[in-house]
Amino acid sequence: MASAEVRQIRRRIKSVESTMKITRAMELIATSRIAKARVRVAENQPYTNKMNEVIRNLGAGTGSISHPLLESRPVKTAGIVVVSSDRGLAGGYNSSVIRMAEHRILDLREHGTDMRLYTVGEKAKAYFAYRNFEIEHAWLGVTDTPGYGDARMIGNALLEEYETERVDSFEVFTTRYVSALTQKPVQWQVLPIEPPPSDDGGEASVAYTFEPSAEAILARLLPRYLEGTIFGMLLEASASEHAARRRAMKAATENAEELVRLLTREANQARQAEITTEISEIVGGAEALAGG
Amino acid sequence: MAGKLFHVDVVTPEDIIWSGAAQMVSARTTEGDIGILADHEPTMAALATGPVQITDADDEVTTIGIHGGFLQIYANTVTLLTDRAETTEGGREEALRLAEELKAAEQRAVEASEAG
Repeated sequence: MASAEVRQIRRRIKSVESTMKITRAMELIATSRIAKARVRVAENQPYTNKMNEVIRNLGAGTGSISHPLLESRPVKTAGIVVVSSDRGLAGGYNSSVIRMAEHRILDLREHGTDMRLYTVGEKAKAYFAYRNFEIEHAWLGVTDTPGYGDARMIGNALLEEYETERVDSFEVFTTRYVSALTQKPVQWQVLPIEPPPSDDGGEASVAYTFEPSAEAILARLLPRYLEGTIFGMLLEASASEHAARRRAMKAATENAEELVRLLTREANQARQAEITTEISEIVGGAEALAGG
Repeated sequence: MAGKLFHVDVVTPEDIIWSGAAQMVSARTTEGDIGILADHEPTMAALATGPVQITDADDEVTTIGIHGGFLQIYANTVTLLTDRAETTEGGREEALRLAEELKAAEQRAVEASEAG
């Protein structure tokens, strides 16, 4: 018996409620994903620490370390790598890292430095492709749950560009997981490699025996170090993505709840107004009959 | 009777494969097989594709197939940093086969990424 207005409001409530079901489910999924991603970040930590330790010791054991990957050269062409997600619905996650990278690109352009662009994730690819940037390479399907193989693939590609001198330096724009509530876009230089700072001089005088030579080990170690660094970044980016999505979906769910409350009130009012009208019509009708 | 013990870590980017006290470690470096006991001199070596065996304090032997990576010996701590490793119940033969498999898997991945 509901009138058109009440029916319409009820339909809207239903639609908002079904959207809310989706956003709430996505929120829950993202929450479990954050936990998993954080665990993976933690599991990567020992490897990263040991790798840094080995590089430091290698530097200490040989006096100074030198290798083409460690030497910076004049930057004629800068490589920009942007790490974004494949899917949206993650609040400001993609836009803040993309904006940061775009700033840097405009900056480079102003200084007349050539630039080559590499993207990870569908969102960065779509953004820059739409603005007619030339993308050298786009890696997709990596960011949700990055594997070490993905990091190796990216690392190898960057190394090749660097070694053939197509690109003189590589900067990665990615997102750091600070806490569940804060994820910060950051810029990292990955090539040439900046050796990790030595935190203490205590191990400096150890004379290592190298098998084969220190140079040979370094030459094998540095590409692994690069991969390790990229892997670490991908893992953090993934944790950040899930955290951003969780927050965005939580906000969406709350907004939907608020909307349902407002609409319900509106529907009640409309229904009440309708009843009042009906009663006054009946009363009016009865009076007319009695009077007649 | 257990020999003198030292600490061993076997880590990959995604996991700690093995960590604990050991009596002996044998590994395959690019220069040849190496056996490590406690108080070994500080060494850094590149690991080849092959088996790694760790004898722990209770004389239990863990066999791991490893493909590439680095070995660091410093102050009675042995660290094996490797991209790919897998423990096995079988002996050295099985570990070697496993390591070769890891190597093949990596080559396939490289080829796939180059083709893509």
